[in-house]
Amino acid sequence: MEDSVDLGGGQTRMEVAFGAGDGDEEASAVVTKSDTKLGSIFNQQYRTWEGSLGPRWVRNYAIYRHHVYGLLTSKGHRYYHPMVRLLILVIFIGALTPVPMLFLSSLLGGEDGGFISKMWGINRYNLWGQVLGYFPRNMCFWPLLTALVVGGMISDDRKNGTSAIYFSRPVTRFDYTSMKYLSVAVILGFVIVFSYFLYYTSAIVFRGEGWAFLADTLPIFIGGMIAGIILVITYTSIGLALSSISQSRFFAAIGFLSVIYGTKLVSLLVELQFENTILYIISPYDCLAHVGQFLVGLPPNYDHPLSFSILSLLLINTLSLGLLISRVSSLEVTRE
Amino acid sequence: MTIQNQPIPTVLLDKVSKLYGQVIGINEVSLAIDGGVTGILGANGAGKSTLFKLLMGRLKPTQGSVRLFGINPWSNSAPYRKIGYVSESERLYDWMTALDFVSTLARLHGMTRDEARDRTEHVLNFVGLDDVMHKEVGKYSKGMRQRVKIAHALVHDPDLIVLDEPLHGCDPIARTSIMSVIRELGNQGKTVLVSSHILQEIERITEQIVIIHNGKLLAIGNLHAIRDLLDNHPHRILIKCENPRSLAAQFIERDPVYGVRFPNEGELEIQTNNLSKAHSILPSIILQSNQEISSIENPDDNLDSLLGYLIGDANNG
Repeated sequence: MEDSVDLGGGQTRMEVAFGAGDGDEEASAVVTKSDTKLGSIFNQQYRTWEGSLGPRWVRNYAIYRHHVYGLLTSKGHRYYHPMVRLLILVIFIGALTPVPMLFLSSLLGGEDGGFISKMWGINRYNLWGQVLGYFPRNMCFWPLLTALVVGGMISDDRKNGTSAIYFSRPVTRFDYTSMKYLSVAVILGFVIVFSYFLYYTSAIVFRGEGWAFLADTLPIFIGGMIAGIILVITYTSIGLALSSISQSRFFAAIGFLSVIYGTKLVSLLVELQFENTILYIISPYDCLAHVGQFLVGLPPNYDHPLSFSILSLLLINTLSLGLLISRVSSLEVTRE
Repeated sequence: MTIQNQPIPTVLLDKVSKLYGQVIGINEVSLAIDGGVTGILGANGAGKSTLFKLLMGRLKPTQGSVRLFGINPWSNSAPYRKIGYVSESERLYDWMTALDFVSTLARLHGMTRDEARDRTEHVLNFVGLDDVMHKEVGKYSKGMRQRVKIAHALVHDPDLIVLDEPLHGCDPIARTSIMSVIRELGNQGKTVLVSSHILQEIERITEQIVIIHNGKLLAIGNLHAIRDLLDNHPHRILIKCENPRSLAAQFIERDPVYGVRFPNEGELEIQTNNLSKAHSILPSIILQSNQEISSIENPDDNLDSLLGYLIGDANNG
């Protein structure tokens, strides 16, 4: 069978099949008329400013609030990824887990409440553990929190060159560093020390404790709080030092976790092998735990003298701050 | 503040050298700048950015001294209260709106929240970003980002404004706008230093120039005055007319003219060592010739040729 196509003006079989011509017989097009403005030369009217610029503390507060308020709102402040904010919230809530248990204890009363109170109530071990207990706080919460907060604190500026924004203003390198340090310390302090404070306060409130309890436990509480502050200072120093030598927040964060976990692991292996705790002086966590045990009046888990741990903490902080200062001094100072 | 009863200029460099190991960044540069717009000219790698980094205290001079308002910027951040700096490569906080970004930086100068906001709105309006000030900086075009940088440099009303390649990467509209902003700042009595390696840009902004080449200061002063000083080099006047040869015959007899050329048909190029004298005799000769003249140009009286002559001299010297 032979196909035939009428080329003389009739319809082809394809046209019949789709029910449409090729459209050329009534060809038309619509072109939108653009009345978009291509650009404009604006009219400049510069007005001088007669006000007086604020003192140093006002400028420093501006740096501080830029970093801290960014956790709550990005508007006008440092950007923290929503997942980072969420994780910090989870860690804060996780640090407060004894509070609902104490509330439950006060609700139940009697034998059950007594058991819960004994497990989560105020005593030397629990106060120490609230800040310096290894699991979950020092294995998960605090190192992760520090890594998240401190990771990009200076490394982002190094990577993006945004430190130039500060240094072309009347902001000294000391102010820049100290305000970054304070910002990190305040965030860590809020989660670690403030949660410790809430724990202690809620124990008093839920159990209806009186002055005698307060008098008994306040020195222990203060000892734990001092240990918490030392922990915040030490972790901030190490974290910022690592952030200052890095151009990547990932490296700074991983570096911090490696320092905390790595030194702990090596010390643990040496202890297991040689039954000697001396190498724990290289582990920031163990030095803090050792000092913390002294501050809350617990028997130490370590054989070496307390002074070794104190000296080690001083050395770790000094080295970290030295590194931080030297790196910030060279920020934006090129090819010196 | 005075030194030996002389007012201290805003910018003072005294025999400043900067060495990067064996490489010379800046070589014994001495200059004083006070008021108005000054263009810092030089090819890429000439030392413009090194000069600005020395001014902004990011580099320590190997030799000599740098003073801003009479203060050494390396050891003291106090001059930065009165300086607005636009770096060539400075990044911005892309997640912020222009309003938030500039007002945050205003607060780094110690302004209160209300002062910062008021001042930010003004400078964003001044640079023509008032209608997009609530948009994130990361969504801005290159030209808009440059204008944000200028806005944040102006927010504290500085007396000295340092602009490192502010027109780099901008489209023609943005260029014209930014040039207009810079000229206006100069008219306000601010001391403005603006660098560029594109000569026509500077020519459109100011006639006060500093020329740097290979780290050395080649020239400083008014563009045309510098050009007049270069009498060793020929000045050319290009005349487009009907009969260049008859016109050339009249010119060649005159004193300041030492040569003529016919580069193209209908074109006469007069070579002279004294441009102003040559221009003074030009009208009478043209009138005598009774020719229709379509254009008269001074191809050497621009920055391109000036830089060419100066660099040639520096290389020969």
